[in-house]
Amino acid sequence: MADLTYREALRRALDDELARDPDVFLMGEEIGRFEGSYKVTAGLWQKYGPERVRETPISEEGFVGAGIGAAMMGLRPVVEIMTINFILVAMDQVINHAAKIRYMFGGAVGVPMVIRTPGGAGAQLTAQHSQSLEAWFAGCPGMKVVAPASVADAYGMMKTAIRDDDPVLFVENLVMYNVTGTMPDDPDFTVPLGRAAVVREGRDLTLVAHSYTVQRALRVADTMSRDGIEIEVVDLRSLRPLDAETVAESVRKTNRALIAEEGWSTYGVGAELAARIHRLCFDDLDAPVERVGGAEVPMPYSKPLELAALPLESKIEAAARGLLAESGIT
Amino acid sequence: MSEELVMPRLSDTMEEGTIGRWLVHEGDAFAAGDVLAEIETDKATMEFQAYDAGTVLRILVGDGETVALGAPIAIVGAEGETADESATAGNGATAPPPPQEEEAAAEAEPEPEPEPEPKAAPARKPSKSSSKAKSAAGNGSRATAALRVSPIARRMADQAGIDLAAMAGRGSGPEGRVVKADVERLISSGELTRPATAAGAPAAQSAPAEGEVRELTPMLKAVATRMTQSKQTVPHFYVESEIDMTRAMQLRAELNSGLADSGDKISVNDLIVRASALALMRHPQAHRSFVDGRHVYHAHANIGIAVALDDGLIVPVVNEADTKPVREISRETRDLAGRARAGKLKQREIEGATFSVSNLGMFDVANFEAIINPPESAIIAVGATVDRPVVVDGEIAVRKIMRVTLSCDHRACSGADGAKLLQTIKQLLQSPSLLLV
Repeated sequence: MADLTYREALRRALDDELARDPDVFLMGEEIGRFEGSYKVTAGLWQKYGPERVRETPISEEGFVGAGIGAAMMGLRPVVEIMTINFILVAMDQVINHAAKIRYMFGGAVGVPMVIRTPGGAGAQLTAQHSQSLEAWFAGCPGMKVVAPASVADAYGMMKTAIRDDDPVLFVENLVMYNVTGTMPDDPDFTVPLGRAAVVREGRDLTLVAHSYTVQRALRVADTMSRDGIEIEVVDLRSLRPLDAETVAESVRKTNRALIAEEGWSTYGVGAELAARIHRLCFDDLDAPVERVGGAEVPMPYSKPLELAALPLESKIEAAARGLLAESGIT
Repeated sequence: MSEELVMPRLSDTMEEGTIGRWLVHEGDAFAAGDVLAEIETDKATMEFQAYDAGTVLRILVGDGETVALGAPIAIVGAEGETADESATAGNGATAPPPPQEEEAAAEAEPEPEPEPEPKAAPARKPSKSSSKAKSAAGNGSRATAALRVSPIARRMADQAGIDLAAMAGRGSGPEGRVVKADVERLISSGELTRPATAAGAPAAQSAPAEGEVRELTPMLKAVATRMTQSKQTVPHFYVESEIDMTRAMQLRAELNSGLADSGDKISVNDLIVRASALALMRHPQAHRSFVDGRHVYHAHANIGIAVALDDGLIVPVVNEADTKPVREISRETRDLAGRARAGKLKQREIEGATFSVSNLGMFDVANFEAIINPPESAIIAVGATVDRPVVVDGEIAVRKIMRVTLSCDHRACSGADGAKLLQTIKQLLQSPSLLLV
């Protein structure tokens, strides 16, 4: 077991896959000599050369399209989009092509491509650069959407995503990059897509989250544990396929569910999960399913306003306590 | 502004209450904390106190009359004020509509009354239901708060055979929603099945006339309902034993001669309670409740002691009897039994038993079988201790023999568990000095 950062775990997964499979290559803006805006590709250009770590112009629609073409021809591109906010100019390529090609070609051709991109807010990058848009993509059949929240999952899921025969949107997180954690020593370690994980056991409330919000959820669980309230934290890990059964299993035990996410609640991950939970666990619920999301505004620049808009621990805790109060637990 | 006092919910299982007697009259002023009436519930007679000062404008339900929970029993207000007529329609000791109708009436209510809600009545209802109750009174029905139940609470109540109608508007959730914690409380308090214990039904106090029909008291109704429910739904099995009480009787005589000046007097029953409590702690499998398809274990032995009343019975509880010396068990039991007969037990004193003792030895009963009081999983029925010839070490000797029968819930424990529990009780009573350590 070794301690390393989420950033380093991703870098290692890319390195290992580049070494393992000559069909794997990276593509993106300033990922070579500059090593990527967030240094996830550090050292890889030097190690594998410009053929396999390709620099692109600022042209998301163009290089996502190029990635799709390469994937259709049998390569395994890993395309970096500097932040998820910039994927919007490539929407047609992602939704109408990457997600549709296997269907449009009657199953004859697939798109084994990974799009890596960080989302999230918290660094005063304001309205256009602070979004968590993953739920939009998770709603689209033909895509896989994953958002690991731990170092081990970042490594294990990146390898699985690269080996997957369909397009995977791999959502990283700006704040997660410097989070450290342990990773198994086993070089063949992988994590399957589409499986949620119970990352903390509890009996009073199921708190579901993905990406960096899982870290917040764990801190809330720690805090409330001091008051004798035991929260079970479920890390979704994948948004599509969505492992609602693991969530339901937890809710059947705790009888209460709270979903926290950094994106907007409306039509969000929590909206989808709430619907699934009501269907799967209706007779197990002791209170309505509750959600906490980012404030439904464009992210403000001002630091106090940014903090006010984020689903920080205080908000998650307040929602959890409110839900427990509805169940007569205080 | 006059307002209604309503029949308060004084026990979790209470669905209706009887005014024992009013301690105030129409026109009397009262202060906060004054006892306005004595109310007889299914369990006990309890005092009904005023939350705020006021004057009794009208008494709607007379002494000895019974009304449903939440039904108006009096109108109070400021001195000199007259009772609000709209609030008095449909008063009296009539039977309440069944809960379903109440709920329907509440739902059919078109809009809330613009009237401000009562501000100072004991057992105040939420404003919504309060206004509903008033306007519904106009067309002859009386509404209480709608019954809201979370899905898991409803499922648990169904499985435990609990009717939640009496919980309408009284759960811990928003707008009185009944939640899981409420049902767990009901189940673990044993509330809903409380007075259900051993048979014992002494004769009524006055000789009934030929063919006379009498209503059951709330307590007798509860006994009837819960005994039926237990005997029909709990799979009872019975293990029986004879216990040589010779040494226990000697010990008791010794203790009592030593305690003669203290006023304490240890009974055989106290020794049985102590022995049962110690034995239960050694046999957790015979000391757990079957609730909602699961086993609920108990950290301490809370022993219910069936106390016969003139007509009926009640089962006060000696809590954590495993931690208490015989003398303390004896004192508590004497106090509880005395107050049980006087109808002065508090609600919490008849809740939470994990095992019961029913002793009919004083009636020269050789042996009998008692009905389990769920969610307890066992009850011991104790007969009289009599001199009997028995074989001791190959010789016939006269010993003091007591016959006991343990009734067990087969969902909670197996025959062997019950047998082991009874064996330990027997060993403790036959080596009674162990009860003192």
